[in-house]
Parts: sequence; C-alpha cells; structure tokens
Amino acid sequence: MSSEVIRVENLSKVYSTREGDFHALDKLSFAIEEGGFVSIVGPSGCGKSTLLQLLTGLLEPTSGQVLIDGIEVRKPLPEKTGVMFQDATLLPWLTAEENVAFPLSLCGTDKKESQRRARDLLKLVGLGDFINHRPAELSGGMRQRVAIARGLVRDPRILLMDEPFAALDEQTRFKMGEELLWIWQETRKTILFITHGLTEAIYLSDTVLVMGTKPGRIIEVIPVDLPRPRTFEMISSEFFGKARNRIWKLIQEEAEA
Amino acid sequence: MRLSVLLGAQTGFFLLLAIVWESISRLELADPRLLPSFLTVLGVLGDLLTQRDFLMDLGITGLEVGVAFIIAAPLGVSIGFLLGEKLFLGQILSPMFHFMLSVPQSIFLPIFMLLLGIGFLEKVVFGVTHAIFVIIVTTTAAVRTVPRDYVTVARTFGATPRQIYLRVYLPAMLPVVMTGLRLGMIFNIIGVLLAEMDASRAGIGRRLFSWGEGFQLDLLLAGILLVSALTIIINEVMRYCEHRAARGHVA
Ligand SMILES: Nc1ncnc2c1ncn2[C@@H]1O[C@H](COP(=O)(O)OP(=O)(O)OP(=O)(O)O)[C@@H](O)[C@H]1O
Ligand SMILES: [Mg+2]
Repeated sequence: MSSEVIRVENLSKVYSTREGDFHALDKLSFAIEEGGFVSIVGPSGCGKSTLLQLLTGLLEPTSGQVLIDGIEVRKPLPEKTGVMFQDATLLPWLTAEENVAFPLSLCGTDKKESQRRARDLLKLVGLGDFINHRPAELSGGMRQRVAIARGLVRDPRILLMDEPFAALDEQTRFKMGEELLWIWQETRKTILFITHGLTEAIYLSDTVLVMGTKPGRIIEVIPVDLPRPRTFEMISSEFFGKARNRIWKLIQEEAEA
Repeated sequence: MRLSVLLGAQTGFFLLLAIVWESISRLELADPRLLPSFLTVLGVLGDLLTQRDFLMDLGITGLEVGVAFIIAAPLGVSIGFLLGEKLFLGQILSPMFHFMLSVPQSIFLPIFMLLLGIGFLEKVVFGVTHAIFVIIVTTTAAVRTVPRDYVTVARTFGATPRQIYLRVYLPAMLPVVMTGLRLGMIFNIIGVLLAEMDASRAGIGRRLFSWGEGFQLDLLLAGILLVSALTIIINEVMRYCEHRAARGHVA
C-alpha cells in the first residue's frame, strides 16, 4: 500500500479558443507522498493555475487523470482538499470568523461547533483578536491568514495553494512561509504550493517541480536535501545556491524558447 | 462632531426657508390667497390629519403603493436575476427592458384605464409598471458585479448551485439590488400618484388634484408638504438599509 495521496497521470488540458486549440498542459505525471511539501515553479503562463484547477476538480482534464487517495477527481472534494488562491478571496460581507466557518456552513455543520473551530483556527494563524473584523478591515497578510484558516477548517489532508503569498511584501511573505511550515509540521498535511519565488520554493519544500511552457509539462524534479527545521542560514548555503541557479537557468531557457 | 454641524446647518437652512415663506405671505409680498403662510398651512395639515376621510384617502394610497411594491420587488428581482444569470436569455430580453425603462410610462395610462377602469387595481398596476423596469435593470447589472472568484471559491468548498445563489450571489448583489428597490419605490409612488391625479375616486392624489382645481391652496400646500415628508422618510429608511447592506463591501 503506497502512501501517495496525490497522483497525476498523463494529465493534459486543451483549451479551445478562437485561434484554435491551445495545449495548456501536456501529459503531466507526478505523485506526492502523504505529508509531503511540494512546490511547483515555472514561467508565467506555463499552466500552473490550470494544473491547480484540475487538482481541485474545478476543471475537467482533456485526457489523463488526477487521483486523490486513489480516487479520480471529478468535482471539488472539500473534505479532502483545502484550496488557497493568490487573492485571499474572502467574502467581504462576512467577518473573519464567518469566512473561516463558511465551508462548514455549506456542509451543514452545527453552528456552535463551526464557530468554535473557526475561532481555534484564527488563533492558530495569530488572528485571535480579529474574529469580528471584516476583510476590508484587515491587512493583506491578515487576509491571507484568514484564507489559510478557511482552507484548514474542514480538516482536509491536502492543501493546494496557488501563489498564496504573491501579493505580499517580502518580509510578510517570509513570515507567512515560516507560519505555513509550522502549521504543516503541526498538522502533517500534504501541501502543493505554486509560486514564482524560487527561494520560497526551495526553502519550504521537500521537492520542487519545475515546469516548462508551450505546452506546459514538468521538465525537472529537484529534491531538496536540506534538514528540517529549515533555518534562515540555509538560504546562503552552497546547496541552496546551486539548486536556485539550476532552477533559474531552466526557467530562463523555457521563457526564451 | 462634523455630522452634528452638518445636521445643524441643514436644519437651519430649512428653518430659513420656512421663515422666508412665512414673511413673504405675512408682508403680503405675494397674494396670501395664492401663498398662505407656512404656519397657516401647518395648521391646516394638523387639521387634515384628524379627519377620518382624509386618513382613509391616505391609507388607500399607501395600500396601493405597498401592494404594488410587494408585487414589483420580488418579480423585478427574479426577472433581473434570470436575465443576468442566463446569458442567452439576457442577450435576447435585456434590451427590451432597457427600452421600456426609457419610455415614459404615463403614455400608457389611458390604455390601463380602458382595460382596468379607474379603481384600486389600475393604480396598483400602474405602480408596478413604473417600478419594475428599474428593479429589473439594476438587478441584472448587480449580477454582473459579482466577482467570479467568489463563485470559484464557494465551488471549491463544495457549494451546491443553490448555495451559490443564496450564499454568494444574493449577498454579493444586495447593495446594488437595494439601490434598485429604492429607485423602484420612488417610481412606484410617482406612478400611483400620477394615476390618482389623472382619474380617481379616492386617494391622496385625487385630493391634491381637486384642491388645485378649487384654488384651495392652503389644503394643497398642506397635502404637498405631507406627501413630500412621507416620501422622503420612505426614501431615507431604504437608503439606510442600503447602507447597512453595503457594509464591508468595498474591499
Ligand atoms: N479559460 C481559458 N481559456 C483559454 N486559455 C486559457 C484559459 N485559462 C488559461 N489559459 C491559457 O493557458 C495558459 C496557462 O494558464 P495558467 O493560468 O494556468 O498559467 P500560470 O502558469 O498559472 O501563469 P501565471 O504564473 O502567470 O499565474 C496561458 O497561456 C493562458 O493564456
Ligand atoms: Mg497562475
């Protein structure tokens, strides 16, 4: 019995556009082990968000399949996967607590229980004092934290994140990364993390998948053999530098191709 | 602080207007038969409000406006929502409703009178046709303001189509829909009063019209003051609700 929670097999996606068929993804295959932290990097437009939408069941593949816990994904599976987007995409008319509890309210969880879980999670992400604030009254970083809490609220085993910290400043971004690692270690989730930040990708992950473009595919799998917990000093280590340069070169070549 | 200054200034302005009005007619700058003094008019108004048959007329108009709104609001919001949500349907029918909005409804009044007479029903129908097109058009616009992202997020968290309508579309649209409803209410009142003034056996509109015809300016002005005050109150209450609904919506 393997411990693979995510398995992607020959996954292709073709968009039909006015200019004809567009091959966004071409025969992607990879697997992620239970409890793994995998990042995906690649040039803009290589199909990262498309891949994420296929993994969440928002899009249907043209061919190939996505398996989660060995079952083919055909529609969103909120009890198995929590999702986070580049924008926090909170509902502006709900408070932080109500936003976090929103997924629970959709599946008819008892109101008291939802409230309690939402509050616990907001405490976990350091927003215990902001439960009654609306998104407009929170900073960008705080909104992303609320979104993390919302992604965790149904206690899914998998978190799928599409550039969740891209809109944040460098410092907040690093801090959020640290917090994500901490949450990951506490909860032992499996995380798939899409990013443009190479440092971020290496720092956080066990494995970095590098995508090429036209059509989107995986061109290299880079294992990150750095011990955990990760420390800030590791970023200036020789291994880190080499890995970073390697990925940089790959993406550069792809972008020029 | 600033709000109270503002309110003070506004009250002051209204008082000033009242004083100017009062002085003009006291000093006989205008013929007091044409412009009875403000205090006289207030007195007449107080008197009116104790008369049973006047209150009956007021009640009838209120009932017509209320019934028309209760019909127009849900109907207009539903039609507007369908037009916004079902793109194909919207493309076919939306222009028609836009055109209807720009046509002055009053030209249809003679037809309504022929079809429905000059009673309660005709007033209600006229109120409905006045209100419904603004409500439809604003609701259609409101559907289009709902960010796709909200729907996407709800779907990833497993929302059913029904939940997406009730928990995402509806609250996201609410501020704009409320504006549409408020405008609809204003149009509705215009429609009902217009129908009453044109031909009617009851209602505040008929009163106003006959007072005007009979040069009973004290009564006419009292009626105008009363209707103005009532419509302003309705409008402000609805605006307050609108404001509440919009809380937090500016992200
Ligand atoms: N609905 C769609 N219809 C047609 N083409 C699409 C659609 N969605 C995406 N594409 C195209 O597919 C390609 C991949 O898009 P995608 O959003 O997955 O890229 P990405 O890797 O996430 O880019 P970025 O890093 O800029 O977010 C792009 O070239 C885009 O133009
Ligand atoms: Mg993207």
